[in-house]
Amino acid sequence: MRASSLLSEALAVLGKEWTSELRSRVALNAIGLFALTTLIAVAYQIGPYRISEADRPFLLAALLWIILFFAASSGLARVFVKEEDAHTAKTLRLAARPAAVFAGKLLFNLILLLCLEALIVPLYCALMGFAVRSVAGLALVLAFGAVALASTATIVAAIIARASGSGTLFAILTVPLALPLLVFLIQGTRAAAQADAIAAVFPALRAIVSLAGVTLVASVYLFPVVWHD
Amino acid sequence: MTETKRPSWWPWLLFVWMVVVIWAAFYYAPSARGFKGESARIVFFHVPQAWVAVLAFCVNLVFSIRYLRRRDALDDARAAAAARLGLVFAVLATVTGSLFARVMWNHFWNWDPREVSIAILLLIYFAYFALREAVADEERRGALSASYAVLAFVTMPFLIFVVPRIYWSLHPDTIINTRGSIDMESRMLHVLIGSLVGFTGLFFWLYALDVRLARLRQKHQQRGEV
Amino acid sequence: MPAAESLFWVAAVTIVIWAGVFFYCLGLARRVRRLEEGE
Repeated sequence: MRASSLLSEALAVLGKEWTSELRSRVALNAIGLFALTTLIAVAYQIGPYRISEADRPFLLAALLWIILFFAASSGLARVFVKEEDAHTAKTLRLAARPAAVFAGKLLFNLILLLCLEALIVPLYCALMGFAVRSVAGLALVLAFGAVALASTATIVAAIIARASGSGTLFAILTVPLALPLLVFLIQGTRAAAQADAIAAVFPALRAIVSLAGVTLVASVYLFPVVWHD
Repeated sequence: MTETKRPSWWPWLLFVWMVVVIWAAFYYAPSARGFKGESARIVFFHVPQAWVAVLAFCVNLVFSIRYLRRRDALDDARAAAAARLGLVFAVLATVTGSLFARVMWNHFWNWDPREVSIAILLLIYFAYFALREAVADEERRGALSASYAVLAFVTMPFLIFVVPRIYWSLHPDTIINTRGSIDMESRMLHVLIGSLVGFTGLFFWLYALDVRLARLRQKHQQRGEV
Repeated sequence: MPAAESLFWVAAVTIVIWAGVFFYCLGLARRVRRLEEGE
C-alpha cells in the first residue's frame, strides 16, 4: 500500500540525490571544472576582439552550447551509473515507484544544468563580449533547453546504466538525440543575441519545447521498461 | 511456423528489373537541366537509398515496439536485421549524396539540413549497435535497444521536417516539396519510381533472408537447450 | 561523341556492380535455403 503520493516520492528521491551529491560533490566538480576550463581556454584564445561583428552571434552562440553540452555530458550520467556501481539500485527499485525515481533524478539533473547555466552563461558573456539583446529570450531558451537536455540525458543515462555504464557509451547514445536539440538551442541563442524582441526566439523555442515534451512522454513509457529489466 | 512460400524466380525478377532501371537511368531519362553534365543521374540511386534507410528505420521501430510488448526474441532479431540493412543503405546514401555534392557544388559536404539528417541517422544506427554490443543478456539487449530505437524515432521528425522549413536547403524542391507535388519531368519520374521499387525489393529480400537466419538460429538454440 | 561513350561505361560499370551484389546475395539465399532444408 503506497501511503505517499508520486510527488512526495519524487521529491524524496530528489532530496536523496542532492544530499549525496553535496556530500561528495563529484558531479558538481566534474561539470563545473569542465565548463570553466573550456570557457577559459576559449576566452583566452578568442576573447571579445578576435571575431568580426557579423560572425559574432553565430560563433558565440555555437561555442556557448558546445561548452554547456559537453560539460553536461561529463556529469549527467552519474545519477544512474552510481546506483549500479554502488549496488544501491535494487534497494531503490523496492523503495520507490519507477515514475518517482525518474522524476526525482530528472529534477536533479535539471537543477544541475540550471546551476551550470547560471554559472557559465554570465561568465561567458562577460569574457567573450557576447552582447545579447534579448535577455528574456535567452533566459527562455536556457530554461527550456535545460529541460529538454535533462530529459534526454536522464533517459539515456538510465539505458546505459543497465548496459556497460561507460561514459563513452553515454556520449555515443546522447549525441544523435541531442543534435537536433542543439541546432535549435544555438539558433534560439543567436536569435536572442541579434534581436530585441522576445518573439525572435519563438520559432526555435517552439521546437525546443516540443522536443522536450516528446522526450518526456517517451521517457514516461520507456523508463519502467529500462529500469525493471 | 508457417513459411510464406515465395516463388524462387522472384530474385531473378529483381535482377532484371534493376538492370532495366540502371539502363533507363542513363538512356531513357533525359539530361537534367541546370545540373552539371550527367551527374544528376546519380539521384536515381541516391534518393531510393535514402528512402530505404528511412524505411528500415521505420521497420526497426515497428518491431522494437512489438518486442517491448511481447518480448518475442524473433521480434528483436527482426528489428536488428532492419537496422543492419538500414545502416548499409544510409552509408550508401551518404556516399552517393556527397559524390553528387562534389560534382555539383565542389564540396563533399555542405551542412545542408537533409545531409545532416542522413548523418544523424547514421549516428543513430551506430549508437544502436554500440548499445547492443554493450549488453550481454539477450532479453536486456532487446529491451534496451528497442527503447533507444523508440527514443531516436521520436526525435528524428524534427530534423527531417522542421529544420528544412526554417533553413534554406541545397536539396532541390523536386525532392522535398513544400507544395507536396512532384515537379519532375515524367520520364525522370518513371525511372525514379522504378528505382524506388527495385531498392525496396532488394531491402525486403535481404531482410527476409536475415530473419530466416535468425529463426534457424533460434531453433538451434532451443534444440541445444533440450 | 565522348559524352555518350563515358556514359556507356558508367552505365556498364553500374550494371556490373549490381550483378556482383546480386549474385553475392543469391549465394547467401542459397545457403539459407540449404540450412533450412537440412532441418
